[in-house]
Amino acid sequence: MKFVSSKKIDKYLLMPTLLLLAWGLFHFYIISIDGSYYYFQRQLIWVALGFFFLFLFCFIPVKLWSKLAYIIFLATVILLALVLIRGEVVFGARRWLEIGLVRLQPSEFAKIALIITLSRLLAKREQIKWNIACLSFVLTLPLFILIAAQPDLGTAFIIFSIWLILLFASGISLRRFVAILGIIAAFIPISYNLLQPYQKMRIMSFLNPYQDPLGAGWSSLQSKIALGSGMLFGKGIGEAAHTKLRYLPQPFTDFIFSSMGEQWGFIGVLMLITAYAIIVVRGILIALSKGNSFPGLLATGVTTLIAIQAFVNMGMASGIIPVIGIPLPFISYGGSSTILFLSGIGILLAISKEK
Amino acid sequence: MFYRVFERSNLRFERRLKIIIGILLFIFSIILVRAAWLQIVQGERYRNLSQTSRLRLIPQPSPRGLIVDTQGSIIGDNVASFSVGIIPENIREPEQILNKLKAVLPEINVELCKEKIKKTNNPFRPVIIQEKIDLSKVTYLMEREQEFPGVVIITEPIRNYPQEKLLGNVVGYVGEISEQELKNPALLRIEAGDLVGKTGLEKAYNQYLQGEKGGRQVEVDAYGRDLKIISERAPLPGDTISLTIDLTMQKIAQEEMGERNGVVLLANPHTGKILSMVSLPSFDPNLFAQRISREEWLEISQHPTSPLENKAIRGEYPPGSTFKIITLVAGLEGKVITPDTTFTCSGSYQVGNRIFKCWKEEGHGKINLKEAFIHSCNSYFYQLGLKVGVEEMAKYARAFGLGESTRIDLASEKVGLVPTAEWKRQNYKDSWYPGDTANLSIGQGYVLATPIQMLNIINAVANGGYLVRPYLVEEIFNLKNDTVFQSSPEKISKVPVSNATLTLLREAAFGVVEKGTGWRAKNNIVKVAGKTGTAHVPGQNPHNWFIGYAPADNPALSILVLVEHREEDISIAPEIAGKIFSRIFQKKIPEKI
Repeated sequence: MKFVSSKKIDKYLLMPTLLLLAWGLFHFYIISIDGSYYYFQRQLIWVALGFFFLFLFCFIPVKLWSKLAYIIFLATVILLALVLIRGEVVFGARRWLEIGLVRLQPSEFAKIALIITLSRLLAKREQIKWNIACLSFVLTLPLFILIAAQPDLGTAFIIFSIWLILLFASGISLRRFVAILGIIAAFIPISYNLLQPYQKMRIMSFLNPYQDPLGAGWSSLQSKIALGSGMLFGKGIGEAAHTKLRYLPQPFTDFIFSSMGEQWGFIGVLMLITAYAIIVVRGILIALSKGNSFPGLLATGVTTLIAIQAFVNMGMASGIIPVIGIPLPFISYGGSSTILFLSGIGILLAISKEK
Repeated sequence: MFYRVFERSNLRFERRLKIIIGILLFIFSIILVRAAWLQIVQGERYRNLSQTSRLRLIPQPSPRGLIVDTQGSIIGDNVASFSVGIIPENIREPEQILNKLKAVLPEINVELCKEKIKKTNNPFRPVIIQEKIDLSKVTYLMEREQEFPGVVIITEPIRNYPQEKLLGNVVGYVGEISEQELKNPALLRIEAGDLVGKTGLEKAYNQYLQGEKGGRQVEVDAYGRDLKIISERAPLPGDTISLTIDLTMQKIAQEEMGERNGVVLLANPHTGKILSMVSLPSFDPNLFAQRISREEWLEISQHPTSPLENKAIRGEYPPGSTFKIITLVAGLEGKVITPDTTFTCSGSYQVGNRIFKCWKEEGHGKINLKEAFIHSCNSYFYQLGLKVGVEEMAKYARAFGLGESTRIDLASEKVGLVPTAEWKRQNYKDSWYPGDTANLSIGQGYVLATPIQMLNIINAVANGGYLVRPYLVEEIFNLKNDTVFQSSPEKISKVPVSNATLTLLREAAFGVVEKGTGWRAKNNIVKVAGKTGTAHVPGQNPHNWFIGYAPADNPALSILVLVEHREEDISIAPEIAGKIFSRIFQKKIPEKI
């Protein structure tokens, strides 16, 4: 493995990523309440660890992922099953797996595992016939079910989206794609009605198990208040009182966007979205340069994953999407999520520098 | 071949990716528009919301002022009331802890409480499980704190009346302010949910007793946890009200009334200071301070003997023969008669075609004014009254304060009724007959008076002809012991009565007790003077009055005894008055009267 000069590193991808990470950490630091820098300090560790993976994956030949795809997939399924069997219950849901000192959220890694697997399956096909489409679905389904059973319907939804997007990108005929969408649309009410009433209740409450201790609409309303109160220029450093006084639930994870909007105002939001847009455009350009291939689909998958999560999280915080607990890439607190996205950037960088 | 296929699939891939990037940038712009809407268009509104929702005013109730008697004994104060609450955040299994609590507090409704806990919108604030619990249970729970995690004891001050029924309808009670009262500008600074005096002294002196509610402006977090006190104002306890009531006399008066219903008033006839005010039956105002049940409320408020009413100021009765004081004064002052004028009593007197009876069937014979007063001869007063006429009698009745408020420092005083020909025309569409005049001259018929008004009349007789304002509050002082209110005796007016008439009246009043109808008031402790009255009530036992004072030659204490619908065949009111006087004067009359 030879040393890669910095010239080969895609600056347009790395710069906004670094900006978001630094900004996120700085924000954690200033909204930390009463000198308790727990989240800041922990996140610092996660970012450092994330960078380790970023650089590691930067140097791993993309081909290797293709070769390891099904092994990674199998490992992920096993991990997810383990979560269900002996995972730690947090806020009424099993999402965590403790391995030694490390507490993992395998559902985060399932996202990238699925992208790798589907990219391997769908790449370089002139046509996606029904058999391949079905196979891709069969691969997606166990991940979907295992994650939905935790229950973590938010992540399950992301898993599902990844499948659809990769199917679409890999060139399935529009007729087939529309047919699949039709089948899905028909299945939503059917599968929901198959559930027992108590299960529906459970799903409804587990959609959002802990962010709503003060009654319906509380988190959504507080989030809108925090975001809106930032106005054009924000409240200034350290003045994000709505966040600091814990009116805003989950200010380090689900509602970090509102907290940043309160602090930095619309100008901040504009900058944030611009940074994501640059990453997304850059990611798609990388994918385009690789064509319909494993690296191309992989880059597409990673990029759209970042985009969708950013959109869903910001949509949740601004009250246009139900609160389903999706972290904001590069910013929300969380080890698994931070490592996942930095790994994703590492993979994108690796793809971009392979000519 | 392979290359072309690959090329085609790449072109499609390119198209698809362009669609994808288009969609992604589109959804990002949705967020941007949404953020612009919230932050720029609605920003002002959300900025305000974020500021107001952080501050909470936590009111701190002010302890109500004390009510003490003239010796400083407590009549009204505050005690702690204990409630048991559960902090939902600190418990896992509501049912389990509720069942444990039920073992200690059997009144708990587990299902209802579970529902309450479930519905709370702030799991950090206690949900009240049971109010007003015994101190013994409080101690029990506090000693076993570990066994009852999440259970808290909440203490709040409630009104306490250690004298219980003794002054119930005089002191009155407090209750949550009604919507109507909230509109009253006099009750400023008082908000819904606050306690205010509803009746009696609690109402009349509410502005002093109320104190000033304190409050903390607290910056709170979303869970309602206090973070920082922004500003604080300590509650200002209400002022202490020192009454003119002397509990010793009050107890004596009540004891002598026994089970009878009615009123006893004791006063300083010179100043109008009320030393005791007994209205029976009474009620225990503590019932209202604690939670009163609907049944208890109905029982008390609709009881035919109206225990909630202070009859001393709200009961209107025909004054009966006590009214003869007015007839006598009107006769002498109007020069209709002289003290020596005699009339003949044959046991009855005919007015028109109606026979008016004297209480003594065999008649008093030929009798002069003083003797007629002493023996309460009705025939004499019929004839005198007819000579004086209704208008003159009404004039003197008013001069003695009948038909008007005594301006006593209590709310909702009634004023009785002084009838005139004009009044009858207006209210009965009928003319005034001589029979009506005859009835009025002995205090029967239309005339009505409250006990406090009748006390005023005897006070005027005792003090040299002055109508004095009766009052119950001597002094009010604040927390720092500064006097904020000091009562001063107030002479409302001089009744148009000459000294000669007054002297005769007082001699006659002394005669009433010495040898006349009030002989049962006679005792060997103190010389008593006064006037009896028996007010006939159609179909019921008569009310029995005694108004008087002692010592007869140098009045220090005046009395009013009214026995509603007396059970005894004898004139019981003067007997009660005599016993009260002898017990009080036996102890030596307190100098402070």
